[in-house]
Amino acid sequence: MDVVNQLQRQFIDYSASLHREGFLDDQFTQLQKLQDDNSPDFVVEVASLFFEDCEKLINNMARALEQQQGVDFKQVDASVHQLKGSSSSIGAMRVKDVCIAFRSFCEAQNREGCLRCLQQVTHEYSLLKNKLQTLFRLQQQILAAGGSIPVVE
Amino acid sequence: MAPTLPSSDQASDQDNWDNGRLARKRQLLIEIVLRNKLTALVVDGDTTCRVLEQLLLRSYGVQTQCVDNDRDAVALIASGVKFDLIIIDMILPVLNGLEATRQIRDMGVHCKMLGVTICSGESERQVFLAAGVDVFIEKPLDPEHLVPILRELDGQ
Repeated sequence: MDVVNQLQRQFIDYSASLHREGFLDDQFTQLQKLQDDNSPDFVVEVASLFFEDCEKLINNMARALEQQQGVDFKQVDASVHQLKGSSSSIGAMRVKDVCIAFRSFCEAQNREGCLRCLQQVTHEYSLLKNKLQTLFRLQQQILAAGGSIPVVE
Repeated sequence: MAPTLPSSDQASDQDNWDNGRLARKRQLLIEIVLRNKLTALVVDGDTTCRVLEQLLLRSYGVQTQCVDNDRDAVALIASGVKFDLIIIDMILPVLNGLEATRQIRDMGVHCKMLGVTICSGESERQVFLAAGVDVFIEKPLDPEHLVPILRELDGQ
């Protein structure tokens, strides 16, 4: 029981720090509440889907911005729009925030601004991916030790 | 409130209302118990959003189908399938959510339609409402917005 308590404490502290640093918001907490015994891996699965989406969208944006003959900003904006939607649905606050700035640069047809945002969004996405992988690893350890995942408010 | 335990430990796949599970959720989510079997259609081109919206609806016991584009949504409804609730995004792969909404309304479909989209401007809101959605919700779809609508549909 002691090991479980320790792991649970670690999980709670780590979750709290992710919220505090703005990586995750309340939406993510809502998702964790939807997880139960019938779908124990649901959050992990949804996170994987999200990261797949992210990679695809980031690649689309990069390709569109690379065009020497004139960037199709509408195309870039469509991808950013989609990323904004999925990041807000999963609670990825920092990714979403970059998308907001990104869209303004698309609207202004500012290629340099867009490129800077692309770098930022790529950075935020990889940070989040690492953080969530750590969180999920902690989750696994708790379950393996026979404990249950605490719900962090 | 003490949760009522189900008579058997196995929750059937069909039944979303396993009492033990519902009781635990009751403590965590905004609680609602639906008297009727409601059906919903989610129309969203983004996988993450689609999966999450479907899951949220299913967690309340709403039988939910998904399509990832507006053309399939219109075709499904044209084929006669009825839904109590349609959740539709504004930006969709083939046409767009506005056009799909108009087409669905033109077919004489009067069910509740929620426009759930990342666009948050007043003009977008007006345009989507004018196209025929009943409620405009900025993503993400959450229990606070959804539950009162489910209550209304359930006649509570």
